Amino acid sequence: MKKNNTDIELLSAYVDGELSTAEKKYIEEKIKSSLELQKELSDLKKLKELTSTSVDRISESPFFETRLYASINEQNSSKFNIKKWIPISALTLFTLALMAVLKFNPNLLEDIIKQQESNIIGFYKENLQPLLYAANLTNEDIFNFAVYQELPLDNTNNQILKLGYDVKGTEYFEIKKSDDISQNNNLQKFVTALDFDDEEIKKIDSIIGSYSEQISALVLVNNQNAVAINPNIWNTRKLILADILAFAEKHAASNFNKMIPEQVMQFDNHSIAKWVNEAKSLKDDQYIFCTPDSIFKEDFVFDMTEFEKNMEKMTEDLAELSEQKAVLREYHFKVDSSISKQKNNSDWTKQFKVFVDSDLIKVSIQNVAIDIPEIDLPNFDSIAIVIHEATQNVRSVRPPAPPMTVGNKGYNYEYNTVTPKKKGRTDVNLDSLMHIKNMQNDKNRIEQKERMKSNSKENSIQFFYNDSLILMQNQELKNEMDKLRRELQQFRYDLTKPGEIDSGQSKKSRQQVKPVDLDEIEI
Amino acid sequence: MDYEQNENMQQPKILSLDDDFSLIKQFIDGDESVFSELLKRHKEKVRNIIYLTLSNSDGVDDIAQEVFITVYRHLKSFRFESQFTTWLYRITINKCKDHLRKKNIRSIFLPLKDEEPVFESINEDTDIKHIVRNAIATLPDKLRIPLVLKDLEGFSYQEIADTMECEIGTVKSRIFRAREALKKILKPLEKELML
Repeated sequence: MKKNNTDIELLSAYVDGELSTAEKKYIEEKIKSSLELQKELSDLKKLKELTSTSVDRISESPFFETRLYASINEQNSSKFNIKKWIPISALTLFTLALMAVLKFNPNLLEDIIKQQESNIIGFYKENLQPLLYAANLTNEDIFNFAVYQELPLDNTNNQILKLGYDVKGTEYFEIKKSDDISQNNNLQKFVTALDFDDEEIKKIDSIIGSYSEQISALVLVNNQNAVAINPNIWNTRKLILADILAFAEKHAASNFNKMIPEQVMQFDNHSIAKWVNEAKSLKDDQYIFCTPDSIFKEDFVFDMTEFEKNMEKMTEDLAELSEQKAVLREYHFKVDSSISKQKNNSDWTKQFKVFVDSDLIKVSIQNVAIDIPEIDLPNFDSIAIVIHEATQNVRSVRPPAPPMTVGNKGYNYEYNTVTPKKKGRTDVNLDSLMHIKNMQNDKNRIEQKERMKSNSKENSIQFFYNDSLILMQNQELKNEMDKLRRELQQFRYDLTKPGEIDSGQSKKSRQQVKPVDLDEIEI
Repeated sequence: MDYEQNENMQQPKILSLDDDFSLIKQFIDGDESVFSELLKRHKEKVRNIIYLTLSNSDGVDDIAQEVFITVYRHLKSFRFESQFTTWLYRITINKCKDHLRKKNIRSIFLPLKDEEPVFESINEDTDIKHIVRNAIATLPDKLRIPLVLKDLEGFSYQEIADTMECEIGTVKSRIFRAREALKKILKPLEKELML
């Protein structure tokens, strides 16, 4: 059976003794008739008893009053502490000062804002130059502008100014990037289509060119990426177009009629002149500034005359600078005294051309001062083989070896080898790389043998792999051996001769001088 | 008989009321020394309410100090429209609520730690009071405060309503809900607690 929450809530209040007499009577009746409520009542009473006894009273705090009065006294003393009022006082004073300033100078904030605006505007107005100078406007560009309403602003970035009309006929312009290169040579095509002769081409070029200055003054650009456009540009464009078409109609009527729609053929010189006057009479001291930050309309008078003066001055300055630059590039060389005498015989100014670059100086000699007669040189190819063969026989010569000691244990014999000329190793290298390679191989072998020699010190004979040297040394050795042999024979003869001194040493020496020893020195 | 008993019971209350009012009047008249009498009279009750409301003794004295400093500052503007105790306990409960609110905010920025189990299996050494106290501590503030004021401090529903600035029906309902919640919490220990 589901509990009746209302009854139990009443039961809870009943346990707390918070029921009115009627409620009390009602619930008591219910309790009598319901075992569940009786059980609930019993539980509630137990729970109340548990909660009532669950928490002991908190122990007294002995210094509570002392601490409290200390806190109260401290707060009373710091009640008028000025420190806590400092921020509020400062803020109040600042507010009052600001209010006073604004009362006596109510336009202060506006002036500040305007000042900031004018600073920004001034920044973007700086160094505005006509488009003609910035973008090198050509007749082709002006023609495209008149016909296709597009004017190049920055040729390197393909940035163009596009004029147009929206659906309501309102004029607009946009600055955008254009990759369309199909309009190249449109003026040339136009001229060709109308079959103009040279004279007419000159005239139309002159007409178009006459507008370049006007257009350039209508579109100004500067280094801050700002573009100032005079709204009069729409009229100017129409004017150029009308002028071109009127000229075309006048000079090439038949071709013109074929290619131009009928409604265009209503121009006459009178109306064009009228438009020109109207266009010129329009106020042109307001420009629309397109900057990276914003677009705004601002009064700006561009003085073309002043600009041209400046440009002329700049051109003069440039010319002057160019001259100075030329002077700077004249180099003066100190000529050696030994050949200074030659100076009289020639014009030195025509002898050198000097090119100076950032990392290069190049001197071209124009004329040789002394006339050197032509010398017939032999054909080196013909003697190359001879030289090659000659070099094959050139070998290395080493410094002389120390005196060689032959034998051991007492009978040592020194002999001098032939002393070759002290040249060291002569490397002959005429023109063949093979020689160099061969010599390198020789050198390596010698070094290897020298290492072997150092390992076996007993053998002090130096090896020379150079054939001629070995032969020479062999010959020397042979001579020496012959000489030794003769001396040995003489020595043997002396030993065997009766009456000669017979000493232990002699015996010993005899024993020592054996065929073995002889074999050792025989080569 | 009942009537006489009731009369006798209410008599001290009226005297107390009069006493509080007369002391306050003296205080307003410039005799601030009587504040110590008021303090002496209500200090422990206030401390107990704070203790019960916070469910622990940490910071009880600090909050009690704040309560009596507030009373001291504003006593001269007391309007005698309610009992002094009602005003005093209201300030106390509000201070406790402020404290709990700040504590809850601080706990957001504290690192999480494993909560200790509130109940452990009951045995001979386990304190039943401790278990019930922990169970009460788990109740939300709006249920716990009227329950402890009723069962532990013996407030009437009307006094609780005045202190907590709510309707008497709300108090009745909240106390009922608090008890239902407690029964659920203590259900696993029903036999041990002899519920």
